[in-house]
Amino acid sequence: MKLSVDGVARRHAPGFQLGPLSVAVDRGEWLGIVGPNGAGKTTLLRIMAGTEPPDVGRVRYDERALAQMGPVARSHARAVVPQRLTLPFDLSVASVVELGRLSHLPWGERLLPLASAERILVEACLEQTDTWGLRDRSFRTLSGGEQQRVLLAMALAQGAPLLLLDEPTASLDPGHARQFLELVGTLVADGHTVVMAHHDLTTVAQACSSVLLLADGQVEAYGGVDEVFQPEPLSGVYRTPLGVMPHPVTGRPLVFHRQ
Amino acid sequence: MAAGRRLALAGLALLASITAGVAHGPTALSLATVLSVLVHPTSHLASVIVWQIRMPRVMAAALVGAGLAASGVAMQALLRNPLADPYIVGASAGAGLGAVLTATVVGALVPAGAFVGALVAVAATYAVARSRGQVQTLTLILAGYALGIMLAAVQTFILLLHQHSLATVFSWEAGSIHGMTWTPVGLAALLILPAALLLVPLTPAMNALLLGDEAASHLGVHVSRLQLLLLALASVMTAAAVYLSGLIGFVGLVIPHVVRRLTTADHRQLLPLAILWGAAFLILADTLSESVPGVGTVPVGLLTAVLGGPYFLWLLVRTQRQGVVF
Repeated sequence: MKLSVDGVARRHAPGFQLGPLSVAVDRGEWLGIVGPNGAGKTTLLRIMAGTEPPDVGRVRYDERALAQMGPVARSHARAVVPQRLTLPFDLSVASVVELGRLSHLPWGERLLPLASAERILVEACLEQTDTWGLRDRSFRTLSGGEQQRVLLAMALAQGAPLLLLDEPTASLDPGHARQFLELVGTLVADGHTVVMAHHDLTTVAQACSSVLLLADGQVEAYGGVDEVFQPEPLSGVYRTPLGVMPHPVTGRPLVFHRQ
Repeated sequence: MAAGRRLALAGLALLASITAGVAHGPTALSLATVLSVLVHPTSHLASVIVWQIRMPRVMAAALVGAGLAASGVAMQALLRNPLADPYIVGASAGAGLGAVLTATVVGALVPAGAFVGALVAVAATYAVARSRGQVQTLTLILAGYALGIMLAAVQTFILLLHQHSLATVFSWEAGSIHGMTWTPVGLAALLILPAALLLVPLTPAMNALLLGDEAASHLGVHVSRLQLLLLALASVMTAAAVYLSGLIGFVGLVIPHVVRRLTTADHRQLLPLAILWGAAFLILADTLSESVPGVGTVPVGLLTAVLGGPYFLWLLVRTQRQGVVF
């Protein structure tokens, strides 16, 4: 599915405005959104998800205007992996992941245990994210990284062609972070469309096919990884001297502090 | 334990408490007599006592317990807050003011005044907390709190001017099901039972709501509509319960917690279990409140606190020791 953001702007509390900006992400593409704290990364993701409407401009999923789609149609088109969630009560990991199927089930079936085809799908999502062993644990008792993997499993269970990820590997250890990114990579290769806001520039450079660099709500650079990841504009935007060299294995940009 | 067994156990507990409720009373009737007139109503005194005096009271207790427990489950899911109870968004203060206004101005119809007051107060809280079609749950709690304090102040002021109504209002606020007849029970049943049934299909979406409003909407839940439905159904049940019995505390807060701790937080099971246990618990509490040794009849609202409070504290301490987080 193609995600198009056309001339979108959103004014927040005095002194901050996101955009106007336009972005397009085609199927099989993985866009990274980077920028300093408060640059508007999360706001842009929320607008892309339809969580927050833009003041001007519009978002389209293929040719459908997002503003015209209801909650169920949206949930079939895109899944969101938030930075974190807190639950007030103990729900099991399996119940949380099963919620990904909620909008796919007819009303009568929602009250019953999952039918076998649905259960197999949910179990596959648990296995893919290495959370199968956690399925009977309470979500609240998991570590931050484990919770993040469960949230990815829930998003996968939604079966949506567009995935929006907000700092998805922020609390993952290096092993699970790599596993997470490889999994998203296979989804992209299968034709999913992925947008990921992230702080780790080197991770974005290895994983993504294109990058949007935001600062103060405005686009500083937008294009391929090699175009955007140059000492300038990175150093200016982050107000710290940054250098770029080719990664010894992948050859993609590796960002480092010059001092 | 499987879902079916849990439901069967709760259903049996409810049947047992109904039987205990109608078998117990100031007039001694043997269990055999009670069971026989339950199956074959006659015109004998025993049958009149069971069907016209004890049964309305037992059914009122069942309805109030079920309604408050279901309302508590809905409010705790809606507000994602373990401290939420059926009265949290202004229902109790509204009911109190409604009761005082009818007691002082009309001189009768206190339950009806309480019913209307509860609904109006919740609607007002919702109207204040709603902006651009969305309701922030924290705003809802704070607005309910502020409105509650204002309404309570007005209530106190009116009571000061009409001190002769103090006794009526005070005994109403303590919560009692004494001297119940079939007509109000039937009216309340017409509100509580359909509202509880309408909650059932909402339980899967209530699970999603535990993840937060935004995550629920990402999963395809129409959040603002769900919020309005939960608030409306919970308030109708609360108002109907208040209409029957005055302000009975504790049941709506604690029954959902106890059931959740002993079984599951999955609303598909939690709601029916809380309804059955809430009804069974209040019947039992009401039966015991009939004849407290040395005191006679006390308001059932007092007994729910005295009975349930220590048990809930014990459950808190026990599950805390098992490492379960609240």
